[in-house]
Amino acid sequence: MKPLSIVAALGTALLLTAAGAPARADYPDKPIEMIVAFAPGGGTDVAARSIARYMEKYLGPGARIGVVNKPGAGGEIGWTSVAQGKADGYTIGFINAPAINALVVEGKTKFKMSDFQPVANLVYDPGVLVVPKNSPYSSLKDLVDAAKKASGAVVIGTSGASGSSEHIALLNFQRLADTKFTPAFFGGTAPVRQAVLGGHVPAATMNLSEALQIAREGTIKVIGVMSAERSSYLPDAPTFREGGYDVVVGASRGIAAPKGIPADVIAKLEKAIDQALKDPEYLDAAKKAEIPLQYLASSDFKTFLDRASTDLQATWKATPWK
Amino acid sequence: MIDALLHALPLVFAPMNILAMFIGLIAGLIVGCLPGLTVVTGLAVLIPLTFGLDPMFALGMMAGMYNGGSYGGAIPAILMRVPGTPASVATVLDGYKMTQKGQAAYALQVALLSGVIGSVLSSISLILLSPPLVSFSLMFGPIEYFWLGILGLATVSSLLGDDLPKGLIACGIGLLIGAVGQDISNGTERFTFGQLDLLDGFSAIVLLTGLFAVPPVLQIIEEAVKTGMSGDKLKLHRQGSALSQWRFFTPVWIRSSIIGIIIGILPGAGGSMSSFLAYNEAKRVARHPETFGHGNPEGVAASECGNGADNAASLIPALALGIPGSGVAAVILGGLLVHGLRPGPQLFREHPDIVYGFMLQFLVTSFLLAIVGGLAATRIFGQVLRLPRIVLAPVILLFVTVGVYSVNNSLFDLWVLLGVGLIGYVLERLDYPSAPIVLGLLLGPMIESQLRLALTISGGKTTALLSTPIAVTLALLSAAILLAPAWRMWRERGKTPVIEGAESR
Repeated sequence: MKPLSIVAALGTALLLTAAGAPARADYPDKPIEMIVAFAPGGGTDVAARSIARYMEKYLGPGARIGVVNKPGAGGEIGWTSVAQGKADGYTIGFINAPAINALVVEGKTKFKMSDFQPVANLVYDPGVLVVPKNSPYSSLKDLVDAAKKASGAVVIGTSGASGSSEHIALLNFQRLADTKFTPAFFGGTAPVRQAVLGGHVPAATMNLSEALQIAREGTIKVIGVMSAERSSYLPDAPTFREGGYDVVVGASRGIAAPKGIPADVIAKLEKAIDQALKDPEYLDAAKKAEIPLQYLASSDFKTFLDRASTDLQATWKATPWK
Repeated sequence: MIDALLHALPLVFAPMNILAMFIGLIAGLIVGCLPGLTVVTGLAVLIPLTFGLDPMFALGMMAGMYNGGSYGGAIPAILMRVPGTPASVATVLDGYKMTQKGQAAYALQVALLSGVIGSVLSSISLILLSPPLVSFSLMFGPIEYFWLGILGLATVSSLLGDDLPKGLIACGIGLLIGAVGQDISNGTERFTFGQLDLLDGFSAIVLLTGLFAVPPVLQIIEEAVKTGMSGDKLKLHRQGSALSQWRFFTPVWIRSSIIGIIIGILPGAGGSMSSFLAYNEAKRVARHPETFGHGNPEGVAASECGNGADNAASLIPALALGIPGSGVAAVILGGLLVHGLRPGPQLFREHPDIVYGFMLQFLVTSFLLAIVGGLAATRIFGQVLRLPRIVLAPVILLFVTVGVYSVNNSLFDLWVLLGVGLIGYVLERLDYPSAPIVLGLLLGPMIESQLRLALTISGGKTTALLSTPIAVTLALLSAAILLAPAWRMWRERGKTPVIEGAESR
C-alpha cells in the first residue's frame, strides 16, 4: 500500500472520533483511500473532504476515509491512479465529467471510461454565459448577431484551458448558432471573473456556482444557463434552450471506483453517499455554500457518463478542440 | 463601520475565539516552517473540520494560520537557507548570510518584527480601505498584468549578483523551466517528452525547494567530510534589538508595506512577488546596495515586511468581490462559504459584525504573532542551530522530502527534487545566483499567458499593450528599474575613480 500523505494522515487522524477501528470482518475494515485529482482547496477537494466525514458516519463505526490529492495534467494523473487502483473498495476517487470524458475522447489517456465503476454522482454545476452589467449585449441573440456581423470579433473569456468543458460548450454553441467566437483562455476562475467584472472581456463562461454571488449583486448578467431547466439558485436567468440553442453542459463531481469491485461494496458505498447527502448537518452546510447537489445512483451515473462520452465524440469529429 | 467594529470586539475577544486564534497561529507557524507544506494545505485540511463550529472560531483559526504561516516560512529560510514557503525566498538572500555571520537571533527578530508590522498595516488597510480599493483592482486586465510581470522580471537587475552574464543565464534557465508544460491556449505540449507528470510543467514549490534546500544540505555534508563538525558560527546569543532600531528600519517598513498591500490587492500576483519587489526597492534606494545579499538586515526586513503586508490585503478583493487575491485567499473564501458567508458588497451589509470581526482577527493575530513568535517560536526554533551540522543535514532532507511528497503525493516530484537539487548545487559552486532562476520560472508563464490574452482580446493589435494609463506607468517603471544600474555606473564613471575593492567589506 502506498503511504498516505501527511495531509491525508493528518486529516484522518483529526477526523477519527473516539475509539479506534474495531476488527470487523466485513467492509470496511481498513482506511479507504479517496483520490482527488486536484489540489487541496479546490472545489473538488472541498467536496471530497466534506462528504468523506459524513460517509464515514454512515459506513459504520470505525470507518475511515483518507483524502489523497493527486493533482496534475488536468486531472489525468489522479484519474489514472483510480483506474489502476485495486478493485477491493479501498481505493475510490472523484471523477469530473465531462472533463474526464474529453480526455478519453482525445485518445491519449491510459484509461478508458469502462475502467471505472461509477458509484454515485454528487454535484452538477451547469455552465453559464455572463456579460458585464453595462454590456451592450443583453441576450444570447445579441451576442450571436454581433458575432455574425464580424466573424471572430466577439471574444469570450473561459476559465478553463483549451479542451475544457466550457471551451467545448462554446464550440457547441457556435456550431448551433452558425457563427464564430474567439475564446480567450484564462486558465482559472478568479482571473476570468475579474476580467469580466472589470470589463476587460465582453463576455465569459464559467460554472453557475462561480457566478452566483456576482450575478445576485448585479455586477454581471447571466444571459444563458447551460442546463435543461432554470436553476433554483438563479431563477431569473434564462437557459440556452429558451434562447433556441440546445447547449446543455455542466461540470459534475461524482465518486467512482476501479472496475470490478464487488457489487455489495458498491451498494454499501452508494448507500453511505445517499445517506450522507441527506444528513441535515451536511445539507445545511451545502445549502449555505450553495453547492448544486445532484445525487445520481450508480446506474443513473453510468448512463449520464455514457451520454457525456457520446456527445463529446460527436463534437470531436466536427470540431476537434486540440 | 465604527459601529460594526465595536459590535465585533466582544466576539473577537471571547475566550474561545482567542484560543482559536492561538491554535491557528501555532498551526500556521508549523506548516509555514516545514518546506513544501504551505498555508494552503493547512487551511484545506482545517476548513472541513470547522463545519459545525461557530463562524468566528473558524475564521479566527484561519486568520491565525495565515499570519503564522507567513512568518513560519522565514524561520528555516534564515536558519537553514531553506525557504519554508515560496514567499520567503527573498528572505534567504540576506537572512542566511546573517546566520553565517552568527547573527541568527537578530535576523529572526528582524524578520518577525517586520512581518508583524507588514501584517498590522495590511490588516488596517483591509479594515479601512476594502470598498474603495476594490475598484482599483478591477482596473487590472491582461494588459496590466503583463506589465506587472515585466516589472517583476525587471527587478532581476538588482538580484543579478556580481557577475552580469551569470545572472542573466540564471534568469534564462528560469524562463526555460517555466516554459515546460501544456500551452493552455491550444493544448500544445512543450518539452514534456510525452511524460504525463510534466503536462502542467514543473511544480514551482518543488523546484524552489530543490533549488534552495538541497544544495545547502550537500554543502553541509561536503564540509563535514572535509573538516568535521563545526558549530562555531551557530551560537544564539543576544545580539541587538530590532525594536530599538526602529528609526533605522522605518523607511524600509513603510515602503515594503505599501508594495505588499498593493500587490496583495491585485489578484493573482501573490506573496513571493511582494517580497521580491519590496527587496528590490529596499536595495534600489539603499546607500550601499552592494551590501545586499551579504547579510544586510534591511534585506530581511524588506522581504518579510512585504510578505506580511500581502496577507490581509489579498483578502480585500476576496471579501469585497469574491475574487481571491492568492491561493490562500481562495481557500479562505471557500471557508467563508461553508459558513454561509457569501463574499461581496452585500456581505458588509448582511454580516457586518462577522466581516469586521474577521478583519479584527487579522489585526489581533498579527499582534499575537509578535508574542508567540518572539517569546516561543524564535527561541525554540533557534535551538535548531545548536544541533551539530552533520545531524542537521539529514533532518533537513527528511523534512524536505516529506513536505515535497505531500504537495502532489507524487514520486516523480521527489526525483525532480533530487535532480534540481543536484543541478542547483553545481550552479551554486559555479557562482550562479539562484534568485533570478526563481523570478524567471514564476513570472515567465504569467507574462506569456497574459500577453497572449491581451493580444487575443485586442484582436492582435500590439498598440493595445500601451493603451491604458496603468500599462504605460508600469512600462515606464520597468524601464527605469532596468536602466537604473546602467545609469548609476555611467554617472559614477565621471567621478573620481574608485580603486577596485577599496571600499568593499
